[in-house]
Amino acid sequence: MHVVVCIKQVPDTSDVKINPETNTLIREGVQSIINPFDENALEIALVLKDTQGAKVTVITMGPPQAESALRECLARGADEVVLVSDRAFAGSDTLATSYTLARAIETLDKPDLILFGKQAIDGDTAQVGPGVAELLDMPVITYIRRVEVAEGKLKVERVFEDGYEKMEVPLPAVLTILKEANVPRMASLKGRMKAKKAEIAMLSAAAIQADPERVGLKGSPTKVVRIFTPPKKTGGIRIDGTHPLEAARTLVEKLREQKVI
Amino acid sequence: MPEIHSDIGPDYLRDESRKTGTADSISFPLNEAEIADAVRWAAANGQCITTQGARTGLTGGAVPSGGHILNLSRMKTITDRDDLIVQPGVTLDEIRAHLKSRGNVFFAPDPTETTATIGGMASCNASGARSFRYGATRESILAARLVLADGDVIALCRGQCMATGRNFRLKTESGRVIEGDLPSYTTPAIKTASGYFVRDSMDLLDLFIGSEGTLGIFSELHLKLQPWPASVWGVMAFFGKEPDALAFVHAVRGLKDKPASIEFFDSCSLNLLRSHRLEGAPEVPADYHTAVYVEYHAADEDEASGMVERMCEALDGCGGSEDRTWIATDDHERERIRLFRHALPEAVNSLIDERRKTDPAITKLGTDMAVPDDRLDELMALYHASLERLGLEYVIFGHIGSNHVHVNILPRTVKQFEQGKAQYLEWADAVIRMGGTVSAEHGIGKLKTPFLLKMMGARGIEDMRRLKRLFDPQCRLNPGNLFAC
Ligand SMILES: Cc1cc2nc3c(=O)[nH]c(=O)nc-3n(C[C@H](O)[C@H](O)[C@H](O)COP(=O)(O)OP(=O)(O)OC[C@H]3O[C@@H](n4cnc5c(N)ncnc54)[C@H](O)[C@@H]3O)c2cc1C
Repeated sequence: MHVVVCIKQVPDTSDVKINPETNTLIREGVQSIINPFDENALEIALVLKDTQGAKVTVITMGPPQAESALRECLARGADEVVLVSDRAFAGSDTLATSYTLARAIETLDKPDLILFGKQAIDGDTAQVGPGVAELLDMPVITYIRRVEVAEGKLKVERVFEDGYEKMEVPLPAVLTILKEANVPRMASLKGRMKAKKAEIAMLSAAAIQADPERVGLKGSPTKVVRIFTPPKKTGGIRIDGTHPLEAARTLVEKLREQKVI
Repeated sequence: MPEIHSDIGPDYLRDESRKTGTADSISFPLNEAEIADAVRWAAANGQCITTQGARTGLTGGAVPSGGHILNLSRMKTITDRDDLIVQPGVTLDEIRAHLKSRGNVFFAPDPTETTATIGGMASCNASGARSFRYGATRESILAARLVLADGDVIALCRGQCMATGRNFRLKTESGRVIEGDLPSYTTPAIKTASGYFVRDSMDLLDLFIGSEGTLGIFSELHLKLQPWPASVWGVMAFFGKEPDALAFVHAVRGLKDKPASIEFFDSCSLNLLRSHRLEGAPEVPADYHTAVYVEYHAADEDEASGMVERMCEALDGCGGSEDRTWIATDDHERERIRLFRHALPEAVNSLIDERRKTDPAITKLGTDMAVPDDRLDELMALYHASLERLGLEYVIFGHIGSNHVHVNILPRTVKQFEQGKAQYLEWADAVIRMGGTVSAEHGIGKLKTPFLLKMMGARGIEDMRRLKRLFDPQCRLNPGNLFAC
């Protein structure tokens, strides 16, 4: 069984600061990490490796620095990693990224399962997983919290706001994974030392025979009109009170005043 | 002169030891002159003084026993030099936040409670995990100013005021000379926060650090900063049995690279961590029994990697395995290990809180003792044997690099609580016989004076009392700390 995991390197936004003048992210001093949801996807693949001997390949499209994210995946137990990197890919939106990843995946051994995180925390679109599935003509199931593989079939649980759905699908398939799926493992010392010495395979635009019209800025119909920090909420009333009952009473009064209830 | 208030909020009558005291008045000086004024006022009115920082102490040191409370928590000025000059009320959090903007340096002492003030830390010689490499608060103090019991001030600079053998002589700012003999005992060369620090021909600054406010009141401290290491690598090694983990600790200590910290988690700790994992922390596989965390600080990746490679050899020789060892080489991964480790004290506290609901007399019983390097295995065997014999629930974790583990007993009943307390006293006897210390980091305060008496003997205590009288003849400063006046 061959499992391909697509990951993205993102800024660690747990400590994010915005430049108030330009409204852009201050990237200096911000560490790059593996997109958190992608770590959950990788963990699913690694469990399939531990339990069923699956081969795990991790792939990312990104600048040369993204290599460090791939080394982290190797350290945790991935068998192979691929960095899809080319100046021609700069400025890719979700469509161009999906196309590039799909072409790159086609150069690998045929995957039985392709995993993505639910979404990347820097763009929050959740479009690349389904985009790749479409281009590879594979079924896709999003928002997965549980995966089991038995007899060439996939049993998954897909989460909704008010419940979940159990589904069975034939392989190959594409899944996008939720945080609640698992707890990502730490890299082992052995894995880290091995990863440190590993050669990282690179794929350029030519290597994946990409159509120049479909990659990078050219292949990206998305136009960003404006980026801005949403204005801070102002006003409001704070109901303090040592007695919950009293506080609740005040709240009800206020809501009545406003004719909400 | 600071305002003297006679209405005292109940919070100022206690610290984190849950001990409560009484007092007649409280003041909040803003500078050294105000401390001196308050001290003179107290002397004129025949009042003793208890100094307070943030009251995070665990031994009742800041709990007043009548008289005046001198609360320094509003003395918050920080002055940048090459190093840092701070007023005593500055907290560890504030020091760290301040240094963030300077970027390339850090203040090494790292006790867990970061709301503690630097005055309290110096006075208790507080320390944390990284003291294995960087020392306790003592090693990070370059100079200090202190107000004495009569309002006079002394300034001490490291290396400039030394004792001659056991004899010392100090000049105050008003020109008064204080001279006499140091105690006759010698403080053991292990991590300790028990009683006055004494060595032959010692630096007199060290006499005041760790003296728990009984000799003088810190009014200003000059702090040493360290260059921030470019590479910090954390390794969490797991073992199938505790003796292997202990062998690993010895082996790592024998290597040429000195880790910043070496921390320990016994099998009960790992079990508790399995059920109290914090969001974001990794999961511990079921068959991992004991863990040792080693952190290396290095100038770059290559140096860090060399350190860890040498450590690997020690690991292989002690029944560890590189497969069953976690490694964090960046902030993000290290944060996950930090979350993992820090869940433990929280888990202990929440268990105890739960049990106090059935019986409020139950509290946590935590030890804070350390022994010399060659007594570590004996100490660990003793802890386990007595706890198993009594059938008590417990966890053992902490700063094993300094042979300083915390045994936390988790009593289910008052009977078990009493059994644990009695056991603690027995352990103290054994630790003292091994040449150890009854408190390695929390200090003696008012709660552990019987332990200090055991450790120092009546003669040692009398020596300390004699020294105190040279600085504070009427026993006005922090009476009841370390010994009864
Ligand atoms: C959750 C928790 C975790 C902790 N972890 C650690 C740890 O890892 N390591 C450790 O060492 N300690 C630890 N402690 C204990 C405590 O934080 C330290 O003892 C700390 O140094 C106390 O500082 P403080 O400002 O709160 O002092 P206080 O509690 O206010 O006072 C402590 C003693 O210092 C004296 N004092 C205060 N300021 C001065 C001054 N300016 N001049 C002279 N004397 C003064 C007081 O009179 C008192 O005797 C912990 C406490 C808690 C609650």
